[in-house]
Amino acid sequence: MRYWRRRQEPFDLEAELKSARPEPSNEFVRTLESRVRHDGRSRVGTLRVAFVGAITAVMLVALGSVGGVGYASSAAQDAAVSVKRVVQPKKVVRVLKKSPAIDQYGGKKKAKKKVKKAKKGKGAKGRVKARTRPPFTG
Amino acid sequence: MLRRDPLANPEPLIRRVYAYVAYRVGDGPDAEDLTSETFERALRYKKSYDPTKGEPVQWLLGIAKRCVDGRGPRLELASEWVDEAAPGDVEEEAIRRLSVSRAVATLDERDRELIALRYGADLTARQIAELLGARTNAIEVALHRALARLRGTFGETDDAPPVRKREATR
Repeated sequence: MRYWRRRQEPFDLEAELKSARPEPSNEFVRTLESRVRHDGRSRVGTLRVAFVGAITAVMLVALGSVGGVGYASSAAQDAAVSVKRVVQPKKVVRVLKKSPAIDQYGGKKKAKKKVKKAKKGKGAKGRVKARTRPPFTG
Repeated sequence: MLRRDPLANPEPLIRRVYAYVAYRVGDGPDAEDLTSETFERALRYKKSYDPTKGEPVQWLLGIAKRCVDGRGPRLELASEWVDEAAPGDVEEEAIRRLSVSRAVATLDERDRELIALRYGADLTARQIAELLGARTNAIEVALHRALARLRGTFGETDDAPPVRKREATR
């Protein structure tokens, strides 16, 4: 009060009220501002994730309605098979002869075929006949 | 469609809310507490902000008003500091601020609120009317009377220029 009474010049009360309005300390403003901004950012991050999820769902529904998902999956499978064919080394295929006869005769050595010596005089004709004969299977 | 964030640029909002609160409860830690509380509530209920109903500052001041009203008035601090401090020790600006706060503190609750909204938060008479749910005309008249009472508090009624209604409504 004393301060105002000391002043002799007329004053604009409204201007005084505006210019002398209480100001918060800079530290307080900074602290509160960072708190508000931090909260806003975390919510924006959540919103972004939700937005991306929604767009993905919409795309899946759109593709699924025209059979795009099956097409895409088969294309992916084909690509995977192609890559596998190129990258994977070829395996040596072993054909195991399994038959009831192996159980019976598997442990025994095969008897050497005795090729009868062709009789003299019969020539090549007799030898050929011996070779082409089917093996005896019992 | 994504909504506009009412707290996208918080710094000027903090200053305006603080000025409003400080005009109502006095400058200092109490005003800081109430301003913080206002922003905490605003963050919690950010989804309730409706841009069609007004600017973010009006929404925040509505929250601040409820915070202050729920707390009750305490206004002694600023007036005591002025008398205790010697004029030579404190800067003239600071004394002026405190003197204005002290003068505002002498007003009744309703006048103080109007002064705080108009000159602290820098709202127009129309915005104040929207916030308080009153007619713009009624707010203009009430502001005019509040200023007259404040001028009487200063004891400068003869020296001070008459209050212009248009300025009050700007």
